[in-house]
Amino acid sequence: MTVSIHPLKKYTRSHITRTTTCPGCGIGIVSQAILRAIDELEFNMDDFVFVSGIGCSAWIPSPLYNTDTLHTTHGRPIAFATGVKLGLPNKNVMVISGDGDLAAIGGNHLIHAARRNINLTVILLNNGIYGMTGGQTAPTTPRGLTTITSPYGTMEHNFDITPMVVTAGASYAARWTTYHPRQMTRSIKKAIQKKGFALIEAMSQCPVQYGRVSKLGKAVDMLKDFKVNSVKINKARNMEPEALLGKIVIGEFVDIEKAELSEECMNLRRKMMEAM
Amino acid sequence: MPKITIFRQACKGVDDCGICTFICPKQLFQASEEMNDAGYLPPEYKGERECTGCQNCMIYCPDFAIVVEKDIGDEAPDKGDENEQE
Amino acid sequence: MSRNKKVLTGTHFEMGNWACAEGAIAAGCNFVAGYPITPASEVANRLAARLPRVNGTFLQTEDEIGAICSAIGASWVGCKAMTVTSGPGISLMQENIGFAVATETPLVIIDVQRFGPSTGVPSVGLAADMVQVARGSHGDYQIIALSPESPQEMFDLTIRAFSLAEAYRVPVFLMADGFIGHMREQIVIPEEDRTKIKQRKIAEQSVSVLDRRDFLDVKVAPMPVFGLGLKAHVTSSCHDEHGMRNLSDPAVMHTYVMNPIKKIVNHRDDIVQVEDDCIDAEVALVSYGTVSRSARAAAGLARKNGLKVGTFRMLTCWPFPDKEIRQLAENVEYMLVLENNTGQMYPYIKAEAAHACRVSFLGPQTLGQIHDPEYILSHLNRR
Repeated sequence: MTVSIHPLKKYTRSHITRTTTCPGCGIGIVSQAILRAIDELEFNMDDFVFVSGIGCSAWIPSPLYNTDTLHTTHGRPIAFATGVKLGLPNKNVMVISGDGDLAAIGGNHLIHAARRNINLTVILLNNGIYGMTGGQTAPTTPRGLTTITSPYGTMEHNFDITPMVVTAGASYAARWTTYHPRQMTRSIKKAIQKKGFALIEAMSQCPVQYGRVSKLGKAVDMLKDFKVNSVKINKARNMEPEALLGKIVIGEFVDIEKAELSEECMNLRRKMMEAM
Repeated sequence: MPKITIFRQACKGVDDCGICTFICPKQLFQASEEMNDAGYLPPEYKGERECTGCQNCMIYCPDFAIVVEKDIGDEAPDKGDENEQE
Repeated sequence: MSRNKKVLTGTHFEMGNWACAEGAIAAGCNFVAGYPITPASEVANRLAARLPRVNGTFLQTEDEIGAICSAIGASWVGCKAMTVTSGPGISLMQENIGFAVATETPLVIIDVQRFGPSTGVPSVGLAADMVQVARGSHGDYQIIALSPESPQEMFDLTIRAFSLAEAYRVPVFLMADGFIGHMREQIVIPEEDRTKIKQRKIAEQSVSVLDRRDFLDVKVAPMPVFGLGLKAHVTSSCHDEHGMRNLSDPAVMHTYVMNPIKKIVNHRDDIVQVEDDCIDAEVALVSYGTVSRSARAAAGLARKNGLKVGTFRMLTCWPFPDKEIRQLAENVEYMLVLENNTGQMYPYIKAEAAHACRVSFLGPQTLGQIHDPEYILSHLNRR
């Protein structure tokens, strides 16, 4: 028995035959992790609407995923997705975009969507750099790294996105690297099923831009770096801040239940209509 | 025995990517000598005898270019969570 | 009971912003996103209270960018969506106004204009955004913008804005200002069944988007609304008629820009509305919006003084009523353009009229005040 087609291809548009990413890019690993989560939950692609912004990772669903996909302006996918979810509360609405899109230009929408606790699944791919535009520094670039727009090393501190979103009010938040695709799929499954704002921060290798400026090297070297430098959150909680410098804390940061916006809106409408 | 399929045309090459060669716990992949249409050298498989069916190569391949079918009846241990150790 | 009524049929004495909110509900609007801003706030305030009672949703966003984006998102799932703001908000929305144009999204944008530039004077009305709504987003495109002169028209033209947005799959602006937004006047709301609203066409099922034409049809493509299993591919990046991104084919690039423009230009006769009261007039007072009230009063005064003065009012400012202005220019000797700004529409009007008649511009005596009819008259006497 030999397969003639990849089993996850049933979720992708048949006329899209190649992925758009550079060789070794982590985006494809995350893309697969998402589709595998949908597959394992036995969802249909029509149960989803995907919304993405601008940047390499925004091209995960657009044009690959075979369902309704909205490819939006830079930084705004969460804002668009908020309207989609409020209008279609019974669909799963997933935002897939990068750190530049969601945490820099779109940072305000990210924290406010978490505050509202609207039932969105946000997959934020964090590669620590602007890949598509040629390797500029991002709010996630580690301090001191030399990039094309920080030729003397970044002087700024970087965002710690997942804890920020937890503080803003998310119901579920987890961080994994592309070295942990199985755990990532497990978290995506929980995020999809979570009634509330759910964030998966996927640390992802960009060998072409980040690998070059960080001198980490190729995709394989970057995966090795993820392997060596990842620290499970339970372990990290008992570590001194100095010991965590340069480490990636992985795992589930929050998993709680609380009132969710799209359902609250439905309840309000029902209550008001009944009060006629 | 697990069955491996490599979609050569989808692959972006062992030289440039090579994640499969790194992630296979048995190191069963190596670059082939024949280019695909895009000019990349996809991996070839050194034989399935040692394959545990862990599917690492399939799950880590960024280009949906590898499929591992676990042989039914073959109780190969799932080594997939190898990377989850503390 | 009446608080849940969809259409508040009857005669009211209310603000223009109240009328706008009621016009939206009468048009079937069921999603509004907005951010507080003077002098537009009352529209959103009222809709926040009214929408849940008529099975709709109001969302107060973190900024105006979030407001227009979530309204566009809601439109794509089949809602009749609207956002409401003033000049500074329009400035923030510009990029995504272009998104709505490029993705052919039905959307109504209420602009209760205010004194600018920048933070300016929030509570003073001024026709400050006439050009920025038509030319403010980057790239070439056409827009529809309607210009009400009264609270009643804020009701009527809001409904018309929804009809045009749905019929042509475009963003449509209602260009009110702080004066009529806050002005209280009689508003007559007709019976619910008297309000005719056009509905968007919805795309039909197909195996793949390649089997459908979802975009770039000059005759308006049926919309592949989300949630129906149509597997729509929507991007504002250059795309073909199926919605698939194409960043390399010059023929596709050309169509991507030209067809949404043609969609509006080819239907301009259906869209453009003007009020022409210049039969036998030698002088035409050309205006739109709030200033039209002064123009009408000035023309009345002028006729009493034996001057042959008429008024010409643009209810539709965009697409620009070029044909109507040309026709007018051929029938009058002098055209005086009245705008409550420093002359935003004037260059467009002059370009169409100057070959046939004398044209000049008159702003208000003091910016921030509406033209005094006597002031207009004294200008006519001086000419």
